[in-house]
Amino acid sequence: MLNGERITRGRRNWIRPAVYASLLIILFLLPLFVDSVYYLHTFIISLIYTIAACSLRTVMISGQISIAHAGFMGFGAYVSSILAKELNWTPWLTILLGGISATIVGVLAGYPLTRVRAIYFSMVSLFVGLAIVALIGVFANYTGGDIGLIGIPPLPDIKIPGLPDINFLRSRIPYYYFFLVLTVLSLLILYSLENSRIGMSWKAIAQSYLVASSVGINESGFRVLALAVGCFFAGIAGAGYAHYNMVLTRSSFGFLSSVNLLIYVLVGGTGSFAGPIIGTTVLVIVPEIFRWMKTFAPFVFGGIMLFVVFFMPQGIAGLFEQLKTKVVQFQQRKTLRDVT
Amino acid sequence: MFSEIAAQTVVNILMLSSIYILVALGFALLLTVLGILNFTHASIYMIGGYICYQLAVVVGFNQWASLLVSMIAMGVFGLFLERVFFRPFLKDMNRIVVITLALIIILEAAINVSVGSYIRRIPSFVPGILRFSGVSISGDRLATFAIGSALLLGVILFIRKTKTGLQMLAISQDINGAALQGIKIHRIFAVTTAIGCALAAVAGSLMGAILSLSPFMGDQMLIKAIQIVILAGIGSIGGVLIGGLILGTIDAALPLFISGSATDLTGLCIIIVILLIRPQGLFGREV
Amino acid sequence: MLLETEGLTKYFGGLAAVFGLEMSIREGEIVGMIGPNGAGKTTVFNLITGFLRPSAGRILFDGKDISGKKPHLIAKMGIGRTFQLAYLFPDFTVFENIVTSFNLYPKSGFWEALFKAPSYRRKERYILDQAREILRLVGLEGVKKVLGRNLPHGYQKLLTMARALAIKPKLLLLDEPIAGMSLEEINYAMSVIEKIRGQGVTILLVEHNMRIMALCDRVIVINFGHKVAEGSMEEVRQNQEVIEAYFGRGHAA
Repeated sequence: MLNGERITRGRRNWIRPAVYASLLIILFLLPLFVDSVYYLHTFIISLIYTIAACSLRTVMISGQISIAHAGFMGFGAYVSSILAKELNWTPWLTILLGGISATIVGVLAGYPLTRVRAIYFSMVSLFVGLAIVALIGVFANYTGGDIGLIGIPPLPDIKIPGLPDINFLRSRIPYYYFFLVLTVLSLLILYSLENSRIGMSWKAIAQSYLVASSVGINESGFRVLALAVGCFFAGIAGAGYAHYNMVLTRSSFGFLSSVNLLIYVLVGGTGSFAGPIIGTTVLVIVPEIFRWMKTFAPFVFGGIMLFVVFFMPQGIAGLFEQLKTKVVQFQQRKTLRDVT
Repeated sequence: MFSEIAAQTVVNILMLSSIYILVALGFALLLTVLGILNFTHASIYMIGGYICYQLAVVVGFNQWASLLVSMIAMGVFGLFLERVFFRPFLKDMNRIVVITLALIIILEAAINVSVGSYIRRIPSFVPGILRFSGVSISGDRLATFAIGSALLLGVILFIRKTKTGLQMLAISQDINGAALQGIKIHRIFAVTTAIGCALAAVAGSLMGAILSLSPFMGDQMLIKAIQIVILAGIGSIGGVLIGGLILGTIDAALPLFISGSATDLTGLCIIIVILLIRPQGLFGREV
Repeated sequence: MLLETEGLTKYFGGLAAVFGLEMSIREGEIVGMIGPNGAGKTTVFNLITGFLRPSAGRILFDGKDISGKKPHLIAKMGIGRTFQLAYLFPDFTVFENIVTSFNLYPKSGFWEALFKAPSYRRKERYILDQAREILRLVGLEGVKKVLGRNLPHGYQKLLTMARALAIKPKLLLLDEPIAGMSLEEINYAMSVIEKIRGQGVTILLVEHNMRIMALCDRVIVINFGHKVAEGSMEEVRQNQEVIEAYFGRGHAA
């Protein structure tokens, strides 16, 4: 929270940063140990989905559960690809534009939705996501429609004076670092927002829009803001993917993908920032580890989902939160006994 | 010439709508009474079709008998579904969503892996094509229309006239009030789920004859069903008729003028606009 | 005149929940609004605070017409309120409940908050100080780390008042502030309300429990959405129509 007013004061405070720091170090050093293109690819995909899942959660914090998120990824992906391919603009720019365009669509679609109650929001978001995919199909001349879009330019060489050029095509490693940096930056921004006054206002709206309005929180405005931020990073993630994969098919941004993202967030746990990170990692990487039984990947995936639902009500991240809550409840009962 | 196209289009609309309505009916029932979006409906629809295929083609029963058996089998499965996967989690919709999604994934993978994904067709229930005044309708589609209408009517009458049906209605309106009245909520939930699954099986079997069977056939239909149900509104079974007709009209008529994607887009925009004006759907209750 | 309503009317379908209500509240007053259940009191609150739009009539606050404005804008103009049922933020601690409510003074922008600029940090420190002040005023310091949903009923009611104070209101609307409280809690709550008035806040409250009317300078009686009587508690008690409203005909004298 804002100034450590939660029960995370004292000894516990160093655990989280230490865990994150060591994780970061491991991730940065990963290419030293992992050589195979396949594994690097898996990590890259999970990084992309991590950005998308965390940004979905940012939207969900304000009480709006969106089933359109993959659609926004797709929108950013196609805008960036078309700008880079047709107009020859550099992907460094078009990826940013992809994010911005996703934001614009998100705000346009989302603004009228902020006037309906949050549960209806989910239902309409379903249709918005489908509409984006349909829209991509309508402009098949540019997007390739159902056939897909090919020939998307990869990230161009980075020329640093005095050092060898960084080429993105020779190996996956440069892409890996690109996405790692992108993920870290995105997560930092999302984390900072969530733990600021803005994040508090979002959480307030989710808990009681009546009370929130009565203390001056502009419900519509903040909901649109959550959507805007969430869609921006979805667009960036999608655009990044486009210039990595160099091929796009619109069906990979449809209902099923949006649902997948939602599952990553729900399984990981909506209660904490780490939730979608954990959920994505588990649900993307674990089935890949069982790759030798590739046909059984869906079973692993579905199995993990059922397991988490049956035994971990707050998601995987929720397991840690539950422990913390037990501690907090104990302390609070003590406080109440003293006071009353 | 034009009037022939128009007549055929009207027929197509009716046929398509009846398919949509048949698929959406079970889904709507569960949404209205249990309040859950039962995504598993898609797999039950699919498995119902496969069971019918197995019995009709591999074992050699009559198609109608196979359909009946499939219906009953899926009905029983519905009881299992409700007892194990729904009942413990009815307090938390998020978890039910994850469960039903997990189930589709597992069930579709199970069929895909065991039976294989190559296309299969169930032999026609009503072979032949009816032709009159320039319009042609396949026997199966006609059968689907008839069965769909009959089932829709049947479900509506069941809800309004039978004791169980009225109890379902009561629960859908006020579950606490219904419980206080002594209605055995869990029993009704079980019955509803069984009926919903049976309806899905019928739909799947018929579609298996009209088009074909595939492990993923449920996905597309699920989206249509969700569209219809949200359009009709929570709490309305009759609305499924109107919703189905609207969607059927859009999907059958518009492709004459614009591309497939554009048709989808138009349909979706119409639904979005309707929902913005009336978020609870055309006939739904305020939540 | 801090708040005035002119011919305030609200229809729900064919039913007039509030009809032609004329009411005025002066700065520094504590005014009580009483009436039987369903008389329209909460509707009046919702109209004043922007949660409902009037079908007809006007509401003037500090001379400005606020009829039909959005709730958060009305909060910005200086009207705070508590709710009968939706009390507070259940997943936030008591302290967080109050801190969240400091959205208006001072206001932080998006980029400030994102980069945690020094100006933002300064504002947040100020907010934390102010929040502690309010905690002290209302007497909730001891429970500041308890989650909203774990809070006992009486404390919840106090918290709703504390929350409403965060927006530095000129006018505070209290919807049944002592409902469900024990005698001790009621006395304490009343002292808190007096303290709030002492800080220069005008108060309009709705209550069924007549005990609190001792605090009120004036009482307005509402029935069927219409003002039936007005005056001090004594005057109103004698009023014929009021007696009928509460006890039905045939009970006069």
